[in-house]
Amino acid sequence: MTATATILPNRTRRNLTIAKAMAEAIAQEMRRDDSVLVLGEDIAALGGVFGNTRGLLDEFGPARVRDTPISETGFIGAAVGMAAVGLRPVVELMFVDFFGVCMDAIYNLAAKNCYFSGGQSPVPLVLMTSVGGGYGDAGQHSQCLYGTFAHLPGMKVVVPSNAHDAKGLMIRAIRDDNPVIFMFHKALQGMGWLGTVQGSITDVPEDAYEIPFGQAAICRAGNDICIVSLGAGVHLALDAAQSLGEEGIAAEVVDLRTLVPLDRATIIASTAKTGRLLVVDEDYQSFGVSGEIIASVVESGVALKAPPRRIAFPDIPIPFSPALEHPALPSAAKIVATARQIVRAGR
Amino acid sequence: MRPSPKQWLWMYQTMVKSRIFEERIAAAYFEGKSPVFNMANGPIPGEMHLSNGQEPCAVGVCAHLDAGDFVTATHRPHHIAIAKGVDLDAMAAEIFGKATGLSGGRGGHMHIFDAAVNFCCSGIIAQGMGPAVGAATAFKLRNERRVAVSFIGEGAANQGAFHESLNLAAIWQAPVVIVIEDNAWGISVAKAQSTAVPQNDARAAAYGMPGHRVAGNDPEAIFAVAGAAIARARAGEGPSLIEIETHRLAGHFIGDAEGYRPKGEKEALTDPIPQLRAKLLGLGILDPTADRALTDEAEALVDRAISKARAAAYPVPEQAYEKVFA
Amino acid sequence: MIPVVIPADLWEGEIEGAVSAWLFADGDAVRAGDLIAEVMVEKTSFDVTAPAAGILRIRVPAEQPFKRGSIIAAIA
Repeated sequence: MTATATILPNRTRRNLTIAKAMAEAIAQEMRRDDSVLVLGEDIAALGGVFGNTRGLLDEFGPARVRDTPISETGFIGAAVGMAAVGLRPVVELMFVDFFGVCMDAIYNLAAKNCYFSGGQSPVPLVLMTSVGGGYGDAGQHSQCLYGTFAHLPGMKVVVPSNAHDAKGLMIRAIRDDNPVIFMFHKALQGMGWLGTVQGSITDVPEDAYEIPFGQAAICRAGNDICIVSLGAGVHLALDAAQSLGEEGIAAEVVDLRTLVPLDRATIIASTAKTGRLLVVDEDYQSFGVSGEIIASVVESGVALKAPPRRIAFPDIPIPFSPALEHPALPSAAKIVATARQIVRAGR
Repeated sequence: MRPSPKQWLWMYQTMVKSRIFEERIAAAYFEGKSPVFNMANGPIPGEMHLSNGQEPCAVGVCAHLDAGDFVTATHRPHHIAIAKGVDLDAMAAEIFGKATGLSGGRGGHMHIFDAAVNFCCSGIIAQGMGPAVGAATAFKLRNERRVAVSFIGEGAANQGAFHESLNLAAIWQAPVVIVIEDNAWGISVAKAQSTAVPQNDARAAAYGMPGHRVAGNDPEAIFAVAGAAIARARAGEGPSLIEIETHRLAGHFIGDAEGYRPKGEKEALTDPIPQLRAKLLGLGILDPTADRALTDEAEALVDRAISKARAAAYPVPEQAYEKVFA
Repeated sequence: MIPVVIPADLWEGEIEGAVSAWLFADGDAVRAGDLIAEVMVEKTSFDVTAPAAGILRIRVPAEQPFKRGSIIAAIA
């Protein structure tokens, strides 16, 4: 449970899955602003393969909730044009792995037009896309690719870990005048067929609220070690922190919530407080999120009691067989073991 | 061009074998996924796209191919793999994620690779078309009489790779045949809603190549049209595009409730296997005894593959790190 | 106590359903109409809402099979 999911005294909890929180956020923005529309594969009648557009077709009709052909270069490019003339498209790329067929429209077009035009032509566009593995769907349907998108300038990158944040970040994303890559993890989505991490189901206020970008959440406070993660990794870190707490190690868990902008201040402050850093990332290890966070901390010059460590996906394509995939993924047990080593090394 | 009795029996038995394979895979897939259907659980995790109903496309085309010809298939690959002669035991083991699988468990159901018979497939729409054009061009450069065939779905005809590859195939006059399995649905989106023309064979004209449409999911018509296109490619006369009307009888993937399909639409579809059985019995090519024998043999092969796959060992975690590079 | 009943006509036959996720914990306060659970029957999922305001008492935990017409919770 994140620190942000507190309940106001005058209302009762209303728990939602991330899928429902996303759909609610989009619906509220569509009611508020006629320029918001949704397009993508299977987002209309089906309500999205991952449920995050369910109900929108019925309420807003096929002109504003548009099923597309399997033509990602075409419809993401089209969304950039819609944005150029005043619409605010919310586009779905069903699996982030499919970026390969349409990355030009994303990083050479959506991400750069604002700059190329000297600010004349901003691109208010949300690209929502599913990420993550662990369910045996192999190497073209299981990647996270957080680092790939965060690496390329001109796009904001959002990775919610729970329904409360998903709603507030989606509303902020739709209102943002820039391309926002909204990366939702399949294991957190609340689709029964993908399993559901219970911690991702949180209280979600009914009003349309924003969560500002660039503000990490401290989900659990502790003085011995800072564990930084995002998306599904946050829940592994929280489970690990619980176990570590039982053996007397107080772990602080930081949920990044957005990669671009990155809240380096919170990471550095937490690491300065604890003197120890562990980054948990389901994306590939090298040249990515975990390296960036560790570099940011090291560059800040904070005093460390032990070398920083990371648990990430190894530099291999994601294998199909659970016998190969599961051991390669981050896990609470790996976090506990590594955190223990870091704390002992730094004593 | 009509199938010989021998070809008919091969086509029929291969369709039966493919269907029995899909039925066994489906049964195994449901293990461990009840009462909550969680895709991650059971002996076969992940998405599972069955080809029930689409078998005529595989056999009508592959009847004209041998192991040296290059085939790329889709995320729904089993029927084509079986018709192309992919090792059934090793394919089953791959789908179960076992060390004895074609790829040692690295690829799974959407990434069936059997280099011995020049078969591969992919989970990315239209991705196989470029490789098919390239392989065909290589055969041409080396003066080999081999051809390449790329199977795609009708939804793939709206991808950039489709149009780029057709143009390349045409300007290079590659010995390639593009086969569209038109099952009318791209997950939940109907072809009529996604595609600007009613028939994708019309698009061949834009690339100066022959286009053909085969109606009725009919193995005989598929055999004839594919046979002519493949013979043409083999003779060095260039590429062709074929769109086959076929049926998706088992949903996009197992777990697809298909609420988007109009009532009665799926029920009105005909299963091609009983249809072909009746036809062959009528033609006197098959009799009930031979049918039983062919079916029993197919079933035995499938059951052997499935039980060997179940009994095989899982790879050890360290094997995940092997084969990233050659 | 107001029971949370899975309608007997939600699906057909003897197959069993299960809650894939309870959206609230046992003992939580809920309002009438709140989505409280998602139920899966084979491959189809259904939303279950609270029939009244009150305290949720879960009778059937997640992933445990039940027949249609079952009472899966009560609102106290």
